[in-house]
Amino acid sequence: MSRKLQLKGSLAESALEGAKRGETILEMKGITKRFPGVVANDHIDFDIKGGEIHALVGENGAGKTTLMNILYGLLRPDEGEIYIRGKKVDFRSPLDSIEVGIGMVHQHRKLIPAHSALENIILGHPEAGKILNLRRAEAEVKKLCEKYGFKLDLNAKVWQLSAGEKQMVEIVKALYRGAKLLILDEPTSVLTPIETEKLMRALKAMAEDELAIIPFITHKLPIVLEVSDRVTVLRRGKVVACLSTKDATMPSLARSMVGRDVAFKVERVEVQKGGQILEVEDLSALSDKGVPALRGVSFSVRQGEIFGIAGIAGNGQHELAEVLMGLRKVERGKLIFEGKDITNSSILERWRMGIAYIPPERVEVGTVGDFSLVDNLALNYYFEPEFSRRGILDYRKIRERVEDAVSEFGVVCSSTDCEAKTLSGGNLQRLILARAILRRPRLLIANLPTHGLDVGGIEFVCNKLMELKKAMMGIVFISEDLDEIVAMSDRIAPVYEGKFVDIIPAENAKKEDIGAMMAGLRLK
Amino acid sequence: MKLEKRLVLTGRDALKISIFSIIATLVVFSILLIWAGVNPIEAYREIFSYAYDPRFGLGLTIRRGMFLLFATLAFILPLRAGIWNVGVEGQFYLGTVGAFWVGYTLSDLPSETLIPLMLIVGALCGAGFGAITGYLKGKLNVDEIVLAIMLNNIAYWLIHFLIVGGPWMGAAESVSRPLPVSAWAPMIGEVPSTTLIALAISVFLYFLLTKFTVGYQIRTLGSSSAAARYAGMSPLKISLFVMAVGGAIAGLAAYHLWAGDPGFHMIPKPQTYKQQGDLTYYGIVCGLLCVLNPLAAIPTATFISGMTVGSTALIRRLGLGFGIDFTLLGILFLSLAAFQFFYQYRIVRRKKEGEVI
Repeated sequence: MSRKLQLKGSLAESALEGAKRGETILEMKGITKRFPGVVANDHIDFDIKGGEIHALVGENGAGKTTLMNILYGLLRPDEGEIYIRGKKVDFRSPLDSIEVGIGMVHQHRKLIPAHSALENIILGHPEAGKILNLRRAEAEVKKLCEKYGFKLDLNAKVWQLSAGEKQMVEIVKALYRGAKLLILDEPTSVLTPIETEKLMRALKAMAEDELAIIPFITHKLPIVLEVSDRVTVLRRGKVVACLSTKDATMPSLARSMVGRDVAFKVERVEVQKGGQILEVEDLSALSDKGVPALRGVSFSVRQGEIFGIAGIAGNGQHELAEVLMGLRKVERGKLIFEGKDITNSSILERWRMGIAYIPPERVEVGTVGDFSLVDNLALNYYFEPEFSRRGILDYRKIRERVEDAVSEFGVVCSSTDCEAKTLSGGNLQRLILARAILRRPRLLIANLPTHGLDVGGIEFVCNKLMELKKAMMGIVFISEDLDEIVAMSDRIAPVYEGKFVDIIPAENAKKEDIGAMMAGLRLK
Repeated sequence: MKLEKRLVLTGRDALKISIFSIIATLVVFSILLIWAGVNPIEAYREIFSYAYDPRFGLGLTIRRGMFLLFATLAFILPLRAGIWNVGVEGQFYLGTVGAFWVGYTLSDLPSETLIPLMLIVGALCGAGFGAITGYLKGKLNVDEIVLAIMLNNIAYWLIHFLIVGGPWMGAAESVSRPLPVSAWAPMIGEVPSTTLIALAISVFLYFLLTKFTVGYQIRTLGSSSAAARYAGMSPLKISLFVMAVGGAIAGLAAYHLWAGDPGFHMIPKPQTYKQQGDLTYYGIVCGLLCVLNPLAAIPTATFISGMTVGSTALIRRLGLGFGIDFTLLGILFLSLAAFQFFYQYRIVRRKKEGEVI
């Protein structure tokens, strides 16, 4: 295919060109990478054959990203070697790996929002260097899209695209540059079920075409079983299993990931509900782009209740969470917390009153990467008289609290003085959760608290929330995961285009109905 | 040998990098010196002996060093909150206006009250001027750099208006009336006692940033404005605070310079006060060089000041062409900027050379 694209220059000599199905095209041997305080990769062996989908699974912090960043040339290993079709290589930067024919699609998308899909796709292509021949490029890219069933408006600006479409752009971009080995970082984490389905089909088609694919996946094990040929499981920087997918089962994979048996179910607790803690009346708000995102929502939450909000990303639930915390302006409607009108209260006032918020953007909003864990913990405490006397932070008290947080919530870190950016996503989430919960808030707004976590992490978060429910906290729980929301909530509100489709008590909740409501099909 | 991304930059690393960049400057400049027929070793001996010899440049080195220290601190604090205070020049001019206004109108007061009043009013004027930027940045997210450049210009012309044919015009054309003797800064040798204020502010800012709750909020806003908002901090209040305090520090520099340097005791002609205003931009260099650490700012500002003073020895003593002093400073600043690369990367030596292709 790529020859039909008539690529010239360095790409023509791509080392992976013409690799045959079943031929071992890549071997990583004894890869070791250390970061201060952790061994991210500990003598890892990994290989992939042409036309194979080889899933890399493991919990957050198991070392998947590090390993693939090494393969892509973003990081250099401390020890170990990489062989491409038996020839040793040394990648100094992604330029080297791209030249060999490796492409990577990142979890945090690296596209230019103001440019069109096509412009993004050809950006960095050797032939786009001097004179743009957009028309020819468009024809070539179109062919590529048709071949694998990607439906993309090439002239749409990237900021207009959905998360799934952006991912397609990245995949097409890698293919257009002649990638023969594609690395996909958490490919399904932002996709709707329908988009996931499409992606799976495309991946299989690419594998048919003798491309090798490495998707790496934290928690959606069914996808691994459905699409891959082989699975390698990492745990704490080591390979704990490498097997053919037909020999793998969900429980066996989960067990090797976590190192023990994992209960996929949450222990539900039932408590006698207390008084009403939050009342929301006809709430409306705008999105970042200034268009109505939340359009008249009313509900109430009682003490000891988990109020679940189920929706596909972009249906207003994120705006709702931000409005509840005061991070977003109310356009219309009223918010009442414990009998007081808080519609216009500041964020700080809400923290002080006993409301806490778990943001979905762990890295950008929930923590400060350059700060130590101690300073990160202070984010939710610096304004409390107990922790700040006469304008001076009481670091002794804050340290005590951070020690509690780390031990009680099992945050894995080299020390509480290490910078937050050295922590994995799951550990960051534990820290954020610990920080908020140790304040003993009376209302907790948990916005996608399990998003992107591994099985062990999800289990931990869900059980913590159950504990809080037992302690009579009111919880607003926002999730995109149907199983999780049904298992956790007392009442469930499927949200679609800024409105609640219905509010269903848990005992009447059927997954299929809620799924249909999330997709905008009203069922009664 | 290979490059590797640096995960953390310690103060010691920053110091090492600075020293290497200075060595690189001296090496590069040697080439120019040899080309001009001067022995580099001798030239450097002249530079350093001039700048740090009490009989020659030491007084000026310290005076200017402290002036740079004020400018550096006025730059550092706002940048810790993520705001580039390029308006130090204008805040310094406003501090000049405030201090001289008190000095002229209350000239009957004894020194013990007159001098503190000049300092306070100078600081307040600088603070007010800085607060304009702080407010507009915090409230409307206006670009602070564009704003500062415009404000600097306004402040420059304000002084121009006051002294060139204006109400403060002195005997000579285009300079102000001299300050009354009671307004002169008390001297410790050749150094004005305002030096102590500069040093005290360094120490204070250090503790403000590391121990105080306000300092914590400043650092949080500087590292992640989204996280600061999430934690309930007010970007407007913090911007106002850092810009007002930064402006106040820049305002203090005015009294230090005009009342503390025996060569002035008045506002000199526009060309000269603009030269002094331009010096405040060295505060940006110093601030970045000491990685925004207020304590490290003290030696940094003194060193840069020493280079500006010592480099004139090349002209005075070795008879080199005019402009060679600025050439040296230019190379130094370029080298300092270039070596900032090593804040991100470091060189790692591998024992087994064969491993690396």
